[in-house]
Amino acid sequence: MKSILKRFTIVTHHETELIDITPQVLAEVEAAGVRDGTAFVLSLHTTTGLTVNEGLPDLEQDIADCLQGLVPEGRTYRHARFLHEDGQMAINAPSHLRGALLGFEVFFPIESGRLVRGARQTIYFVELDGPQERTWVLQIMGE
Amino acid sequence: MIDFHTHPVMVKELVRDDPALQRAVREVFQLYFPAQPLEVFLAEMDEAGVGRAVLLPLDCTTAHGCRIVTNEQVAELAGKNPRFVGFASVDPGAKDAPRRLEKAVRGLGLKGLKLDPALQRFHIDDRNLAWPLYQTCSELGIPVLIHCGLSWSLVGQSKYARPLALEEVAQEFPSLRIVIAHCGWPWVEEALLVALKYRNVYLDTSIVYSGTPADALRHVLAERIGLDVLERSLPRQILFGSNYPRADIRRTVRGLAALPLSPSLRERIARKNAEELL
Repeated sequence: MKSILKRFTIVTHHETELIDITPQVLAEVEAAGVRDGTAFVLSLHTTTGLTVNEGLPDLEQDIADCLQGLVPEGRTYRHARFLHEDGQMAINAPSHLRGALLGFEVFFPIESGRLVRGARQTIYFVELDGPQERTWVLQIMGE
Repeated sequence: MIDFHTHPVMVKELVRDDPALQRAVREVFQLYFPAQPLEVFLAEMDEAGVGRAVLLPLDCTTAHGCRIVTNEQVAELAGKNPRFVGFASVDPGAKDAPRRLEKAVRGLGLKGLKLDPALQRFHIDDRNLAWPLYQTCSELGIPVLIHCGLSWSLVGQSKYARPLALEEVAQEFPSLRIVIAHCGWPWVEEALLVALKYRNVYLDTSIVYSGTPADALRHVLAERIGLDVLERSLPRQILFGSNYPRADIRRTVRGLAALPLSPSLRERIARKNAEELL
């Protein structure tokens, strides 16, 4: 069985930002030469998310607004203190919790060398504590 | 807005090819997260609504054998991007410290002096080490920003950083503009005393100890100092600062925005006082 692992580094520019990574995933699957298998997409960060939704700007804004509403900045969180492990203030509890709501990975089957996904499904890397440099990983497994 | 207190210590373009800086940042300044591209620093400013940022280096050669970003590196960043205002740092223990400061200001175009008595390990009122630097700042007409209060670095010694020691400095150098960083936390009342007494003494809002920036700013500015005191007595002597990257700029801006300040004081803290100082 083939296993291909690719890392993608991006720079985000906003605190909350949905970035369409579908073209990269499709291109890598096409180039991988895997006929039947699975593509896993994973974020390497705990204040980001990965999600799939219809690729429309209004929905992107609704998702961002909804996450901010579900986990408001003004609530009291325990994770609001100096973090000795980093040497900086850990004041991004809302970002972590929004990430927990979204999850950090998505996967799709590969059939006949193509990603099996709905016609309206867009794969988003979701920045929840930007701007930052971020890395996401694509693993393609199969034969 | 102007952020009067940032450290360009996690800029990937600087850190990547500089093992000495990597060591200094980890072992002395003590930040342990990955460096970020300069583009992220600028985007962070954009996202926070900050137009310009003061960059603060630190020369700890005598105390720790390192410089945590050099004057030349700061000058290069500021030279390439007009949104950055570069300050100099010189080691008070260096015999030619005043000459180095003059060179950094006249030669590199840096706009102020940063001192950190806790990490550089000198007494703020040391007439041999610090006085010549204050004198040079006065002659050059540049402000000095002095770390006061808690030093988060485990090799920093906060005992050197009591704001009350600046009373004598302000007395002796009436034309020297002195910025007390972090409102001197936890010695906020000492910092307040000196700022109330001397109109050439400023406080910056980069208060980092626990809670969110909104919590810290509310506690220190509203509860310990009093917003009425700021409005009546110190409207021209308080500056916005974040201490980025120990705290992010965005949340510090929001913390300030959450305080019920008059529009004129808000404008003074956010921009006007810093503009006048620079």
